[in-house]
Amino acid sequence: MIPRATIAEAMYEAMRLAATTLPPDVEAALSRALEEESDPLARRHLEVSLENARAAAEGKGLVCADTGFPLFYVTAGGDTRVEGGFDALYRAAAEATARATADALLRPTMVDPLSRRNPGGNVGPGMPKVDLRFEGDGSGLEIIAAPKGGGSEIFGTFYRMMYPSDGEAGIVKFAIDCIRDGCYAGKICPPAIVGIGIGGTADLCMKLAKDAAVLRPVGRHHPDPAVAAIEQKLFAAARRLGLGPMGARGVSSVMAVHVETALTHTAALPVAVNAQCLVGRRWRAIISSDGDIQYTGELP
Amino acid sequence: MSDTIRHLQLPLTEDDARGLRLGDVVTVTGRVFTGRSLFHIRAIEQELVPPIDFSEMNCFFHVGPVMQQAPDGWQVVSIEPTSSIRFERYGGAVVRKLGLRALIGKTTMGRGTAAALRDVGGVHLTKIGICGNLLRDQVRRVVDVHFLDELGKTEATWIFEVERFGPFFVDIDACGNNYFEALDEGIGQQLADVYESLGVPADFAYTEVNP
Repeated sequence: MIPRATIAEAMYEAMRLAATTLPPDVEAALSRALEEESDPLARRHLEVSLENARAAAEGKGLVCADTGFPLFYVTAGGDTRVEGGFDALYRAAAEATARATADALLRPTMVDPLSRRNPGGNVGPGMPKVDLRFEGDGSGLEIIAAPKGGGSEIFGTFYRMMYPSDGEAGIVKFAIDCIRDGCYAGKICPPAIVGIGIGGTADLCMKLAKDAAVLRPVGRHHPDPAVAAIEQKLFAAARRLGLGPMGARGVSSVMAVHVETALTHTAALPVAVNAQCLVGRRWRAIISSDGDIQYTGELP
Repeated sequence: MSDTIRHLQLPLTEDDARGLRLGDVVTVTGRVFTGRSLFHIRAIEQELVPPIDFSEMNCFFHVGPVMQQAPDGWQVVSIEPTSSIRFERYGGAVVRKLGLRALIGKTTMGRGTAAALRDVGGVHLTKIGICGNLLRDQVRRVVDVHFLDELGKTEATWIFEVERFGPFFVDIDACGNNYFEALDEGIGQQLADVYESLGVPADFAYTEVNP
């Protein structure tokens, strides 16, 4: 039985680490991009971003002050038992988010969409967002905390219901147009990790895109060669756009293109795009059934 | 991007603003005020602006700072410039109403704001990299805050005294030219090649299900 307090602690600490530390694979990708760029402004965007992240890791500030939407992705095993039942996960996430906001690790950013009132703690209807999935027969819990920045989420979210006759040409045209649109003037904070969902229902399609952007290690290809081929093709095309870091002239508009698919209706071809910004914030907590917690910036 | 950095004094003079060119790299020293969406909407729709002498403080920093209350007052944790383009609906009207000469933010602004900046004699400055911790270290003093209770810490108008704040680069000059628009035109011209590399036929059109 995993105590609720342990879960709240793991969620807080994973969120703190995400807000203050670049994941190692993201940092490596930014360093590679810096080697590739020759335009002075493109290079400076990357140098400053890496320097800014180093300051945050040393306890001087945040990786980015727009800490965005507080997201938690929780994976439980078949034998996982949580004190208070699985509903306790929602309460633990709210507690961890409010505490991280009070400690200025998260900016109070979540507001009512109509009144625009800010409750001040990033907690309210729907937020923090807790995504729960079950996998395997283990008895532990894995939590990924992802403060997802506004730039990538607001300017980097697209959806189009296409039809079978639009085919792969439609998919890749839509995706590359979205990448160009999002990179204009650095809206999505390139080099972006671009997630693309193909198939499913509208909501599943968008979830595939977001999971692809947020939950996959940078540049790991889809195991299905046909899907991986689309990733490679779009990655190469994005590098030919002429856009680089923060919308400057360059090549690294994207750090990676990740595609996920799901079965869909025989009449439909839904496609969604969701971008993750250059700081790619997420950190993982692994809780064993006896309540030990380990933290890592690496994704499974 | 220019190799040298120009250090500008605030409030910015019309001559200084009109002397800047696209791609110039600058810092500013003096007082700036902050605001986001609610500042713009309220300034125009409700005629509600903070009690600031804008002729003395003509640099508007688009940001929602992360602030923390300490025993000796407010502390800046990090200040990341936010996307100015979101404010385009009201951008030109705010520039004209307050006589602003410098806007600092992320991304850029559109043609309406660029036209206002051309008429008033002002520029838009955009951030270089993710820089919120580096900018924080250039804030000398949190001078004041307006609308904190009604708008909260993120949308409130903070007044900061800053020193060699930046560097930023000029993406809209006082002639109304836009760095990113010029860059985007070049990209539009390459797009046919990019489509071709993806196997998208030149005459591709999405399936239309409406008349």
